[in-house]
Amino acid sequence: MKNLSIALLGILIAVQLAVPVTMIQGKEKILQEGTLYKLLTRPIDPADPFQGRYVRLGYRNDYIPCPADHKPDLRYNEPIYALIVTDDTGFLRFIDWSHEKPATGNYLKTRYKGIRKDWQQNSKTRIHKGIRIDIPFDRYYMDEAKAPRAEVLARKATRSTNCWVNVRILNGKAVIEDVFAEGQSLRDLAAKKD
Amino acid sequence: MRKVSAKNIQWLNKELPILESEGVVSPETADGIKSYYSANTASGMHWAVIAFAILGSLLIGSGIILLFAHNWEELTRPTRAILSFCPLIIGGLLSAAALMKNGGPALRESAGIFHALAVGASIALIGQTYHLPSNVPGFLLTWSLLVLPLTFLLRSTGALLIYLGLICGWSGNAQETYGQAAGFWLLIIPSVARLACMIRSDRHAPDTLISFFGILIALCISTGIVFERTVPGLWIVAYSALLSGAGLLGMYLYKDRDGWTNPPKTVALIGMALLAYLFTWAYFWDDIGWNHIRNSWYYRPWGCWIDGAVTFALITAWASAAVKAFRRDSIETILLAVFPILGLTCFLLSSTVSGTAVLNALIFNGFMLLFGITYIVLGCRHTKLRQLNGGMAILSLLLVTRFFDEEFGFMARGIVFIILGGCFLTVNLVMARRKKQIEVSS
Repeated sequence: MKNLSIALLGILIAVQLAVPVTMIQGKEKILQEGTLYKLLTRPIDPADPFQGRYVRLGYRNDYIPCPADHKPDLRYNEPIYALIVTDDTGFLRFIDWSHEKPATGNYLKTRYKGIRKDWQQNSKTRIHKGIRIDIPFDRYYMDEAKAPRAEVLARKATRSTNCWVNVRILNGKAVIEDVFAEGQSLRDLAAKKD
Repeated sequence: MRKVSAKNIQWLNKELPILESEGVVSPETADGIKSYYSANTASGMHWAVIAFAILGSLLIGSGIILLFAHNWEELTRPTRAILSFCPLIIGGLLSAAALMKNGGPALRESAGIFHALAVGASIALIGQTYHLPSNVPGFLLTWSLLVLPLTFLLRSTGALLIYLGLICGWSGNAQETYGQAAGFWLLIIPSVARLACMIRSDRHAPDTLISFFGILIALCISTGIVFERTVPGLWIVAYSALLSGAGLLGMYLYKDRDGWTNPPKTVALIGMALLAYLFTWAYFWDDIGWNHIRNSWYYRPWGCWIDGAVTFALITAWASAAVKAFRRDSIETILLAVFPILGLTCFLLSSTVSGTAVLNALIFNGFMLLFGITYIVLGCRHTKLRQLNGGMAILSLLLVTRFFDEEFGFMARGIVFIILGGCFLTVNLVMARRKKQIEVSS
């Protein structure tokens, strides 16, 4: 009985170790082989009790454009595939979506989050933009001392210049490589002010 | 086997030769007592040792999570990857040592708790290194599934409580993220099975009692979270069946024990008092039943079937517990058994007849009054201060709230407050005296 318990514990520890190994392998593969994209972002700084302090990344282009009269046959939170391209300015843009995994082109596995409408201050109306999707890379973990400062610097930077995230995408999955503000890495920017 | 502390055995070994020399006991009797205690009792584990071991591993495990959360930017990705395995390996070694040495509760509990926290620390560090998105349900589910086998292998109550906390957290987050968390019912089954094994081996053991509390609290929290709520008010039936069933199970398993020594009854009575109090408000019974089924985009069309199935399962469990525990001569079992019947009746009334909210509220006002008076009477009869005060607390909660009704004048409210307080003090004083007299005479 004791030997059986020890053997079972051995199997459990192997499974427990296999989980982080698989996670690391998957993420490293995306970082090595994934296509690099840039996406405009607006960072804010919260904290997670388990994983530490991070800069939360909000995205202006978190939607797939579609006409206002087009009602997508989707439930809230339904998984979909968003097709992506790089536009003329060099940033990532979503162009279309499908229920099935696209056979060609690059794509991101995401979830439907409703209809995206923007408030127009001039006309005092809400303008239909398209379908809103979940962007599955919304956290950039940083040193607990640097994260709040990085958030302030990035917010200042977004007033005059662009702030963007470099992300690698492979087979619908994404891993953040770095976040940039004022043309330099957010880590370097926060470290400089030490 | 009974447990006797080493301190008491030491005292007995000192006393026996004195009693023998004084002629109080014969040498044969003294030998008989000695051999009885050495053969039929086990030395009781010092609870401070276990408590400190648990606290120590809990603090170290949490400390490692916090250290990792600091985010050491200076460390490279490969270093972080290696680091993420370290707590897991240490946890594994500790658990292996506890199993190989047939460790006592202190070692098993501290290994279980540390190992369970190490799993979380390891996954969290990888999430931090690769900036994984805020997939809290995924994180909690992976963590809980990797912790679950530890509760069986190490027989660690601490690991079981961590598992229960994780699945409760998962149910809340999954409900928020995916819109449903019916998987909670599958996740709770292994812990219930573990508890059943513990009850079979020793239902009065402290770890059985703690696990019982943990599972019942997890059930009480997550039933509300997991419910799809497409049929308004169905939760009233489900919760009353759950709590009443737990109370009856407590009466069956632990008979007349109460408080910490009867977890199901204690949780049931507290839960029933709170629920019955909520049901005394008329607005709770507005827009209830299948005529008000919710069907916006937020609710799933099959939600009512899951809720119905869960309610049916809880009613079945309640009925089985009632068959086992119901005694016509016990007012406590009658009160416990009648609670879901009232809940179901009022739910059906609200669903079929309009304008019954006030009637339902009145029914539960009456039930709560009876509930409070019953425990006051039982407390006086059995000289149990806990029961007496519990009954008085229920009664005062009901009455005091009613005093805030603007229909009553200030003077009336003031007088009733004073009378109520006076009753509390007098009855407690009389009971305390009576208890003291019983202790002196015995």
